[in-house]
Amino acid sequence: MTWRGQTRHARALLLALLCLVVLWPDRALAQQVQYERPVDVAPQQQAIGGGYVTPDVQKPRPRQYWLQLLDVFLLASAMGLGVWLVVRRRSRPLALALTIGSLAYFGFYRQGCICPIGSIQNVAVALTDPGYAIPIVVTAVFFLPLVVAVFFGRVFCGGVCPLGAIQELVVLKPVQVPRRLDNALGLLKYVYLGAAILLAVQPAISRDFVICRFDPFVGFFRREGFAHMMAIGSGFLVLGMFVGRPYCRYLCPYGALLAWCSRLATRGVTITPDRELDCGLCANACPYGAIEKNRAVRKECLYCARCYAACPCETSVGAAV
Amino acid sequence: MSDGMTRRDALVKASRAGVLLALGSTAGFLVRKADGQVVWQVDTSKCVNSRLGEAGTPICSLCTTECVVSQSAVRAVNHFAKCGRCYICPAYYNIRSAVDEKGLPSEKLCPRDAIVRKPIGFVDPEDPANNFYEYTIVEEKCDGCGICVKNCMEPLGLGSIVLKVRYDLCVDCNRCAISTACPKDAVVRQQLPDALAVTWPESR
Repeated sequence: MTWRGQTRHARALLLALLCLVVLWPDRALAQQVQYERPVDVAPQQQAIGGGYVTPDVQKPRPRQYWLQLLDVFLLASAMGLGVWLVVRRRSRPLALALTIGSLAYFGFYRQGCICPIGSIQNVAVALTDPGYAIPIVVTAVFFLPLVVAVFFGRVFCGGVCPLGAIQELVVLKPVQVPRRLDNALGLLKYVYLGAAILLAVQPAISRDFVICRFDPFVGFFRREGFAHMMAIGSGFLVLGMFVGRPYCRYLCPYGALLAWCSRLATRGVTITPDRELDCGLCANACPYGAIEKNRAVRKECLYCARCYAACPCETSVGAAV
Repeated sequence: MSDGMTRRDALVKASRAGVLLALGSTAGFLVRKADGQVVWQVDTSKCVNSRLGEAGTPICSLCTTECVVSQSAVRAVNHFAKCGRCYICPAYYNIRSAVDEKGLPSEKLCPRDAIVRKPIGFVDPEDPANNFYEYTIVEEKCDGCGICVKNCMEPLGLGSIVLKVRYDLCVDCNRCAISTACPKDAVVRQQLPDALAVTWPESR
């Protein structure tokens, strides 16, 4: 029990030092240096005795791997479901339900991460920096929506992306943005994409992930965030009441990639020629200016199915079925 | 007209195959290069609050102030097997405060009162100084300000308290806000099993 002896000795020393401090407060700093710790080696459980067992170090584990795989699976399923609900069922209410479900899971439960938009930067860095690798899950999350877009267009934007979903739900009284202004603003996302990649592929020390840093909605998903980002996010939501999904159409860098891939899509939201009335109700109903000359533009269509909901032919077909 | 359509279709099909091939090979390259799960962790050998030989520097609280979640995902952890079990713990008590009637410093150090002190082993009620004490940091209260870490460091303590990431709070930002602010680049990306391993700076 040399331990205890040492402790007692040190205690006397300590008390003396502490009394010194009380009497002589100016010497507080000097006292701290003179404080001598009572032990030199940590006592282990056999020295402590009394049946004491040293507890494990507290370490909460990160999200389990199978849960991450589940996220990828849910992403793929949600996109499959989106295609089925919009292209096959042509149902606005069901598409809206999927949007709300995605917002709840990918947005508020998974708090907006992991997302393909931000992973653009990781992919760019992994492609250029030999010392940087990304997990397979991130690779899958980045490429799946692109592959789907090559066949079906921007399904990811419509039913799955939480950033899109939160804007989709605030569309209140959308104005039709003049075509030329819409096209000009649409170029911004390519600029943003280029800038984000350029800033990401810097050497590790000056690397900056601007897409994530200026993610306007992640603060809402986390229910906390920097004041200026919350302000920008609120601004986007207020603007989104009158201009349909401003972030998706004009800024989202992943939207730029999806728009490129969507040019090759052969299936998607289609205004059927042999059933149309040329009434233009669908074009009026589209808050995203994605119906041009009564035809859906793949690279702009965000899979909300409002055009089907507004179509007199569709409703009669629905009633017949 | 139908001829033109087929040609256009063929063109779309060919470009689609090209794009898919490009996407596939890029993904394949990334998958071959892929590592396991990577998380943010504090490198204790770099952190100024726990690094040996950093005794004179002020306490760094950037982990508390910079984290994007309101209660920082970084918190102090006491490695019990390295803890001196002291009667007067320099990280629990403010050893510069006045001595109270029980002969203990009258102030605690932790601003959030997040450390719990309890006697362990054979408890001698007559002589509290002759007991060993266990200091547990309550995770719900700790916000990783680093005060206890710094005060447990050599030569005051044995350096058993260090800062670590709490993965139940960490939202795994793409670029950790603390890592960009950290003057010593002590917040690093680590492979999963390594990040959970108990590595403490060597203390005698």
